[in-house]
Amino acid sequence: MTTVVTSNEAIRAIEQLLYREASYLDRPDLDRWIELYTDDGTYWMPAVPDQEDPHMHISLFYDDRVLMEVRRRNLKHPAAASKEYTIRASHIISNIQVRDLDEATGNCTVTSNFHCFLYYRDKQTPYAGTYTHELVRDGDSYRIKSKRVDLINCDAALNTIIIYI
Amino acid sequence: MSYTEQQIAEMVQPTKVHRNVYTDPEIFDLEMERIWARTWIYIAHESQVPEKGNYFTLNYGKVPVVMVRDNDDRIHVLHNRCGHKGVKLVDKPCGRIPAFRCCYHGWRFRLDGKLLGVPHMVGYEGTGFDKDDPQYSMQKLRSESYRGFVFATMNPNAPDLKTWMGGAADVMDNLCDRAPEGEVEAAGGVLRYEHECNWKMFIENLNDTMHPMIVHRAVVDSALDYIKTLPEDSPRRDEAEIIPPFGASYEVFEETGITGFRYGHHYDGGKSSIHSDYTLDPEYKSAMLKAYGEERMREILSFNTHNTLYYPSLTIKSAVQNIRVVRPIAHNKTIIETWSFRLKGAPDSMLKRTLLYSRLINSNGSMVGPDDLTAYFRAQEGLESAATDWIEMHRNYGQDEVLADRVVGKGTSDLDVRTQYAAWREFMTGEAA
Repeated sequence: MTTVVTSNEAIRAIEQLLYREASYLDRPDLDRWIELYTDDGTYWMPAVPDQEDPHMHISLFYDDRVLMEVRRRNLKHPAAASKEYTIRASHIISNIQVRDLDEATGNCTVTSNFHCFLYYRDKQTPYAGTYTHELVRDGDSYRIKSKRVDLINCDAALNTIIIYI
Repeated sequence: MSYTEQQIAEMVQPTKVHRNVYTDPEIFDLEMERIWARTWIYIAHESQVPEKGNYFTLNYGKVPVVMVRDNDDRIHVLHNRCGHKGVKLVDKPCGRIPAFRCCYHGWRFRLDGKLLGVPHMVGYEGTGFDKDDPQYSMQKLRSESYRGFVFATMNPNAPDLKTWMGGAADVMDNLCDRAPEGEVEAAGGVLRYEHECNWKMFIENLNDTMHPMIVHRAVVDSALDYIKTLPEDSPRRDEAEIIPPFGASYEVFEETGITGFRYGHHYDGGKSSIHSDYTLDPEYKSAMLKAYGEERMREILSFNTHNTLYYPSLTIKSAVQNIRVVRPIAHNKTIIETWSFRLKGAPDSMLKRTLLYSRLINSNGSMVGPDDLTAYFRAQEGLESAATDWIEMHRNYGQDEVLADRVVGKGTSDLDVRTQYAAWREFMTGEAA
């Protein structure tokens, strides 16, 4: 993987997309969040570092559009006891690096570090790690083809992760 | 307070149990000594230590132990502590070593636990210290394996493993028989999920068939609501076969039946379960047909249980090929591990579905498990109230069919919980072996 220096304008557009995604998850607002993803978009949170495959190894999350749509409905469902509690998050994204830029299409892979504090059931839980976003150009902006969330403690005994990080 | 034998015995009545069994740390400590140290506890599957020198660590109750394959391919379960000052010898989840070597003073042990060497032995000369005295070796637990599943006990008087499993062994057989080669292996990693509740709340929920239509309504509704928006000719999805049955009716669950055994084991299902209607990969079916022939294949695939508990530490789903392992930490904290299994000789699609199931239903990020957990931690918190000291378990009491080696009842019966507490009382009062 090579780091490609690209124009300030392109980097700003990429940053803005990552920040927008984070702000939807802060609330959380999955109705808006899901629209940032392509129809074949995926959200993956591996259960071990350097996990190669979402299908032949267990993951904490691996949602395609279908499961995102189910989760979007589940979050608001009045009978979901685990969702009765207030869920609020604060994401900070930094160390953004653009990799594998396709100059012709503008499509690229972007890695970043994140810190997320998640408030749920009277408890504040810190999550930290690396995001890998595969972005595809969509007019002046981008849409997310895949997002991979590598928690630094993905292989620890964790409690419920109530919402996408 | 300290409990007398009489008081402990009285905490379990035929149709009710005292709330202190969940809330009192002293009861938890007694359970570790009297149930967990006296019965068979699941350790790991043999495939998790495939090579000589491979080890796997865990806590047996509160006691650190290590399962290891020695140079003669024998599997041992050893206390994970040095015979010298008690230092844990290995502290990674798993790994491979030529011998155990203590990180503190360098004492070395063979893979079967025997003390091999002590540095600078000269200082021990004439002191009465005898390196060959077994007390300085790693101490062995009694262990036995059934179809690759290794259990251990600290009780020299426990019955042999097969006797202890009784009729519940049928489900372990079914899990392995579902492999064309008749064997399974752990595959695809583990999920570890912290539950802030008593260990018994988790195992009491396994065959509680009165909860799914309440607790899991939200995820079932959400899935069905989305499926409605899809065109009719959309491709088949395993998710659509896995999630909706969790919303099955009382009548469906009643029909599945529950079977209980001595020592606290039980399963729901048999003829049918919420896994009965899964589509099978034709490649898998033909591998099964080749291995077993038509009649035996049908027999194996039509035995459909949901959860089978080997009280108190292991629950398996033979039709799904995943297991969950109970690791109690404190009276209000338990770690639940989910392991998935590959059916040897089956196509990859089978393991892929097992892992999909584990992720959809049992993962920390699932839309199913967290709703169960919410019921458990609310029970843990609610039971701090002494509004009443008793929790009832009357459903279908007196209507269960008592057979020679098992008790059979309706799928919605509380016979599973009554079976567990009969064993609890036997162990806690020392009536069991």
